[in-house]
Parts: sequence; structure tokens; C-alpha cells
Amino acid sequence: MFKDLLKLELFPTTWCPGCGIGQLMIQLAMVMEELGLDHTNCTIISGVGCTGRLAGYFNVDGVYTLHGRTLPVAEAVKLVNPSLEVIVVSGDGDLASIGGNHLLHCARRNPNLTVLCNNNQVYGLTGGQAGPTTPRDTKTVSSPAGAPYDPVNLQNLMKAGAKYFYAKTTVYHQVHLRSCVREAIAWPGFAFVDITSQCIENNGRRLGFNSAYEMLLHFRRTYKRAPEGAETLGPYEIGIVRKG
Amino acid sequence: MKRLVQGNEAVFLGAIRAGADFFAGYPISPSSEILVLAAEQAAKDPGFRFIQSEDEISAANAIIGASLAGAKSFTATSGPGFTLMQEAIGYAHQVEVPAVFVNVQRVGPATGMPTMPAQQDVMQIKYGTSGDYYPLVFYPNSVEECYRYAITAFNAAEESLSPVILLSDAFVGHLNEVVDVDAIEVEAIPRGRPSLGTGKRFFTGLTHDEEGHPRTADAAVYREWLSRIRTQHEKVAVHYSDFEFKENPSSDTLLISFGIVSRVVAPLASQFALFRPIRIFPMLSHEIHECAQSYDKIVVIEANDGQYAWLVERELKRDIVHVPLLGGRINLDLVKNGLSEKLRREVV
Repeated sequence: MFKDLLKLELFPTTWCPGCGIGQLMIQLAMVMEELGLDHTNCTIISGVGCTGRLAGYFNVDGVYTLHGRTLPVAEAVKLVNPSLEVIVVSGDGDLASIGGNHLLHCARRNPNLTVLCNNNQVYGLTGGQAGPTTPRDTKTVSSPAGAPYDPVNLQNLMKAGAKYFYAKTTVYHQVHLRSCVREAIAWPGFAFVDITSQCIENNGRRLGFNSAYEMLLHFRRTYKRAPEGAETLGPYEIGIVRKG
Repeated sequence: MKRLVQGNEAVFLGAIRAGADFFAGYPISPSSEILVLAAEQAAKDPGFRFIQSEDEISAANAIIGASLAGAKSFTATSGPGFTLMQEAIGYAHQVEVPAVFVNVQRVGPATGMPTMPAQQDVMQIKYGTSGDYYPLVFYPNSVEECYRYAITAFNAAEESLSPVILLSDAFVGHLNEVVDVDAIEVEAIPRGRPSLGTGKRFFTGLTHDEEGHPRTADAAVYREWLSRIRTQHEKVAVHYSDFEFKENPSSDTLLISFGIVSRVVAPLASQFALFRPIRIFPMLSHEIHECAQSYDKIVVIEANDGQYAWLVERELKRDIVHVPLLGGRINLDLVKNGLSEKLRREVV
């Protein structure tokens, strides 16, 4: 059972009802079960923020690093113990803002890591401030007149390297999400999975959604599968682009 | 075999002798020789892992990850890089990660005087990261001691499950002396804690209980944790109460100095009593009290504007004279001039 991989005794989790991280956690546990990953061959490294707490709910050794520092920790763990499956799970603020320099250089060094980015486009834990992935003009508590800048383009950032693996999916598209995670784990280098996810309490309501369910329906309506063989994903396309 | 060895090289060789098998670092004067030696080691020994990190923040976090994964890990830097590592050092205290941080000091603040020696990171080392913590810090003053205390630093880290700081300075780091490192016997303590991938533990920088579960609003859990850490570090520190004391019954004055300054001050042994702490922190309270009691005047000579002097004063609860050696110039004439001025008599 995939539930055996989770510390159910610690439930309910710290996350708000309707949070997308719970869905990511369940899908990851299902893929781990499928691939035979457990405490003997896998470790989860997570960063600070709501998503950072995820590592603590798995029945494997987990590390909740400093804010932004998942990648230096994970890369070192993998280098010291190459047989260990090292999965990084963190938020967009952690990976793309405070950890941005590490993302740039870790991707360049291309260690065999799987990075799952719970991308809810906001700093949820601290109350809903704009982050590096917040779309331009979005009103947040720290951008009352609308976010003034274009968000970081994670796909282009990843594709800057000679070798890359970038997957885009959402927590609504669960079969696709699982397939992205599976492929990322199988990829023999740095694999980045950009997972659009909902933060209803500190972002969604301000955007006009009444519930997490409405946000998920929004993902269903707006995100479409990229055409087979696409080399670049459009803004609302889910799929995988890679070059080995 | 006896040969010329550089201070920074001795630190590296000591680390290898201690069983170090992981280094991450970012080039910075005057510590870069250690990084270069680590890169060369990795090129000839596949068991030794090396990352040239994108910055010191990354390097500090990498040695923490490596340690959790079962390696004996270390990094080397200087003042500005050490500042960038502070958050990670706090994390290593919170998560109880053994690792060694080498700080080859230069003149600061900021970029300062990159190739000139200083001892200006004394307070940064003791109080640089947030929260309360009790770092173990060693400061050798010779090439031989660089080797010896590199091993000691790894041992103390392993015993205390904490990040241990090995202090040096541009002078000690670039000093060349003839030593036979193979003849130096310091036993290395092996890794104790099982590596990642063997359990279901949670290592978190949040305040946590003994099982690792975050307890972020419980003062009792926090107090228990801090008290346990403090006791643990004090117990380990006792094993390494290293200092040097040269008494002088004909003098009424005790000079306290450490690192390169203690080498410069050494010729004054006929005129003064000399005390040199090697374990800089936790302070050698008992030993300093004992050694200071027969002397009317206590002088702290250091290459900063009175950082350790302030701590000695607080420790002894007596007036302390301090002689600062600033701007990277450290020599006996400056010491004598400083002493003459502060003691109001000519020191020759």
C-alpha cells in the first residue's frame, strides 16, 4: 500500500484543507510504491515553506533544509551515496527565488536528482506575498497594484543547459503528474518537474476562487496536453521536454 | 618524512588523516589552497568527493548534506565567505550535523584586505548565526598544529555532533615550516550516526523533539533541547581543553594571545607570563582563572580591536588591557609599542 510510505500517525497534516501539496504527496507515494522506493533506497530533501514540510510525512529519511538550500544538500547526498534515490520536493519560492542561484548551477552540473516543484505561484506560508512565479499583474499582499514583473521562465531556465529534463504538469492531472514523476526519476540527470498547484487560503480566494475545487477545475479548463514531440511547452501546456 | 609544509596544506592533510572524504568550497583568499588540494585529491582518489560550489552558501549546505549522507565533510573559507555560511552553521547546530568549517581569517569587514592576516572573526564565530549555540573552536599557531587540530576538529565534531570551527589566519595559513606529519599521532574517531537511506528519520531546522517532529511553539521542548546541546558540548569540550601557559614569577603581567600573534609574542617570555588558548571556544574559563590569579595585570594582544579581550574581561571580571594589532601588520615591534603605551613603561 502506498499509504505505508506515509507517517499516517502524524495526520492531519500541517497544510490547510484544500491545499495542493497533499495531492502531490499522495501521487509521489504512489509512484514510490510502484518503483519499490522506500527507506532503504530513497531519501526526500525538502526546503522551507509549506512544501518543505512534506519530507516529514514520509517513512523515509527526510531532510528539511534551510530556505532555498535543498539543491546543495541533495547534490552532496547523491554524490556521497550514488545508489540512493534522492528526491527534492520544494516550492517555487524556495527553488526559483531564494534558491535561484543553486538551481542555475545545480542544473548545469547535472547531478542525477529528481526535483518536484510545487508551484502555487505565491508565498503561502508567510501569508500570500508575490513570488518569482506570480503572473504579472496578480494582486497579492505584497503587490497590491498587481505583480509588477513577468514571472521567471522555469522552462527556459532549464533548457539553457546542454542536457535537460523539464516537465510541466498540475495536481489536477494526476495520471500525467505520476507519469512525469516516474520519468523524472528514470532520467539519468537533473530532472525538474514544474507542478502547478493551488493555494486556496492565501492566494486563490484573493484571485476570486471560492474553493480549492474551483481552482482544480480551472487547471482542468486551462491546461492542455502539449502535442506529441513538442520541443517547447506553451504557457498552458503540460508535457515533458528533454535532451540527453 | 620531514619536509616543508604550508599551514593550509597541513589543514588539508590533517583532514585526510581524520578520514575526510568530502569537500565543497568556493575560492577565497587566503584559504584557496585547501580547495585546490581537495580538487587534486578528488582527481586521484575516487573515494574523495569534491564540489566547487557556486557560492559559500551552497558549499556550507553541501557539507551538511554530505555529512548526513555519511561522509566526513569540510569546507574552507575566509571572513566574507564565513559570513555567508552563518545560516548553515546555525542549521548544523539545530540538526546536530558534524562537519568542519575552516576559516582562514583576513582583514575585514567586507572584502577588506584579502591577503592580510587578522583575527577579526572571533565574535562572528561565537555569535554569528541566529539563536543560542555553543560552538567548539580551535586555533592552531603552527603548521604542525594545523595538522593536529584539523584531526581534532573532526573528532570534536563527531563527538559533539556539531559543526566545529578550525580558525586560522592568512599568516598561519601561508606559513611554511618543516614538519613530519606522518610522525604526528592523533587518533581519528569514526563516523557514528547511520547515513541517510537507513531509517525513517526527519532532520529539520525547526525546533523539534527527540523524534525529530517539529515543535515550533513549545517553550519546554526548546529549553530541553538547548540545555541538552549545551551539556553535550561542554562535556565534549572538556576532552579538548588545550592551552599553553608559560608562567613567569618575576612578572606581574600575563599576556594572552592566540594564533599567529602568540608566535610573535613568544620572545617576550622572559619579561611576561604568557597564556595561549588553543580551544578558543567554549572559553577555557577555569584555566584562564587559574593562570590569571597570580598576575596583577592581564593584557590581551590580538589582531582585532579587542574582541577576545572583551570576553576575557567578562570572564575574569577584572580590568583588562588590550593591545590591538590592526590592518594586517603583525610584528614584535608593534606589540612592544602597544605594550609600552598601554602599560606606561618601556617594553624592550
